[in-house]
Amino acid sequence: MDITERIVQNYPYFVSIVLFCIGIYTILSRSNLMKKIIGINIMGNAIFLLLIAAANIRGGIAPIVPHGGELPEGVYYVNPLPAALVLTGIVVSLSVTAFALSIVVKLYEHFGTIESHEILEIRSLD
Amino acid sequence: MFTFLELHPPALVVFVLIVAFIMPTVAHFKRKLCGPVACVALLFALAGSIHFAQIASVGRVISYAAGGWEAPFGIEILINPLSGFMLLTISFVTLAILIYSVSSLESEIPPNAIGWYYTVFLLLVASMMGMAMTNDMFNMYVFIEVTGISACALVLSKNTKLATEASFKYLLLATVGSGFVLFGITLTYLVTGHLNITFIAAEFTSIIPQYPFLSWTILSFFLVGFGIKSALFPLHVWLPDAHSSAPTTSSAVLSGLVVKAYIVALIKFYFIMFGFELLNEIYFRHLILIMASAAIIGGSLFAFVQLNLKRRLAYSSVAGIGYIFLGIGLGGATGLAAGILHIFNHAVMKACLFMAAGAIYRQTGHKQVNTLQGIAYEMPITMGAFSIAALSMVGLPLFSGFITKWHLALGSIEAGMPLFVGLIVLSGLLNASYFFPVIWQAFFDIDAHKPRTFSLDKIPVSMSVSMILLALAVLYFGISPEIPLSLAMKAAGMLLQ
Repeated sequence: MDITERIVQNYPYFVSIVLFCIGIYTILSRSNLMKKIIGINIMGNAIFLLLIAAANIRGGIAPIVPHGGELPEGVYYVNPLPAALVLTGIVVSLSVTAFALSIVVKLYEHFGTIESHEILEIRSLD
Repeated sequence: MFTFLELHPPALVVFVLIVAFIMPTVAHFKRKLCGPVACVALLFALAGSIHFAQIASVGRVISYAAGGWEAPFGIEILINPLSGFMLLTISFVTLAILIYSVSSLESEIPPNAIGWYYTVFLLLVASMMGMAMTNDMFNMYVFIEVTGISACALVLSKNTKLATEASFKYLLLATVGSGFVLFGITLTYLVTGHLNITFIAAEFTSIIPQYPFLSWTILSFFLVGFGIKSALFPLHVWLPDAHSSAPTTSSAVLSGLVVKAYIVALIKFYFIMFGFELLNEIYFRHLILIMASAAIIGGSLFAFVQLNLKRRLAYSSVAGIGYIFLGIGLGGATGLAAGILHIFNHAVMKACLFMAAGAIYRQTGHKQVNTLQGIAYEMPITMGAFSIAALSMVGLPLFSGFITKWHLALGSIEAGMPLFVGLIVLSGLLNASYFFPVIWQAFFDIDAHKPRTFSLDKIPVSMSVSMILLALAVLYFGISPEIPLSLAMKAAGMLLQ
């Protein structure tokens, strides 16, 4: 199989790795704390995309065993476990985001800004 | 109680969780009662942990299928020597810290937050216990996140400028770290189809030769993720701020236990799933050794230049993490056992040091190390405990720190790397260079014109009790280290099978 065809067939993996890098870059390079939190979310979603994309089968059915217990020939069901894992992961990332946002509110009360370089300046003056 | 615990080991975690969420109710009726209730709960947890450690030390392994789903599909809880050791460490040190918190918290955090502080604290204890017990990767991830969030909340609870900023930085980096860990877990699941660590290990024996690059990628993701979360040297930037600006009890538990809980997770992943031979083969072991050496030297040098006592202790934690990673990198039975033993010894010493620093600040208001002249005459109990723990950090014989350094040195000779004996001696000297001035000033640097009188500490009894408890533990486990050492040896033997 030639390499472009492989990339085209497996594009969700590449997308997820690119998204992961974008997320980390956002966290490291942006000074705005809100953008940093957005970066966290992009990074988390990249991992969820990887899990979901790997579990999916094109044309697969829901993992419910039909009457009689046998799947017809050539029909596959999609592994439900990664979906459950992603659901858990989304809940975790939601709570992290909520907590981070509440800290940003506190930071704004203390420093009057949500730019991290300005916070550093204020801190160094104290 | 013990038979029930043997049948249902997760009951220990669930019990602590239930007590955690009762705390706000207790605070609603009587705020003073929160601390004692939490202490009694952790006393029960300690009894359970001692029972588990006893079971593990006679070589029995308890396996529990959560929800009745057997191993490859359900979540498996394992009580083996490593988790027994970790449970014992967690419940002993957190009990001492909670005894201290009974009277120290009121002066450090807003009074209406005390009930919730205990909730978060016990949540942290429960999730660390869960990390020690679980044998399932995704379950581990969930506990890692709970630990991360509650650790940040413990820093935030002080509600000052510095603490808020430090906790945001901590949360950000901890989330990046757990992102890397989750990526590693995802790749492992995709390539093996299992989440249970034992089954992954069996699957990996055929997968590693087949997909070498993928397994190296997974190894790197775990190293970076857990490295950030456990503050391995170049990735330690969040630690000094977070640990020095938090309330005393939070600093003690963060420095003493939280960073180590992640190391135990890393040890489980590396040694059970991949095996030490692979780490040696692809030079990962050497990478870990280099980072550990940099942590030991760099952490000590950074600690040396800090004048704030709590910051100095925080940087000294970076060096302490280095010792544990040195043990992991050495990898032989003795070296790994020394690394695991240092988890316990360092937790006890560092909790004691942070609590002494908190007591000094409470009585005298001094934060800087160069303002402590003659303070031992005002607070002999605190400075006595501080000195015992500090001498143990330096690694003098008869203190527990010596036991780990001795076994690390033995382990490095056993691994054929005698260079690290020199590193351990050098780091002992560096530790002495930043702890001895504090002790010297406190005991001997006295103004000759002002006759000093000896008076007992003016701190609440519970604070002195917990410092004395930890200082005695340092002495006891320095003189007769059999109990933790034999457990650590058993854990290392199990990991290297």
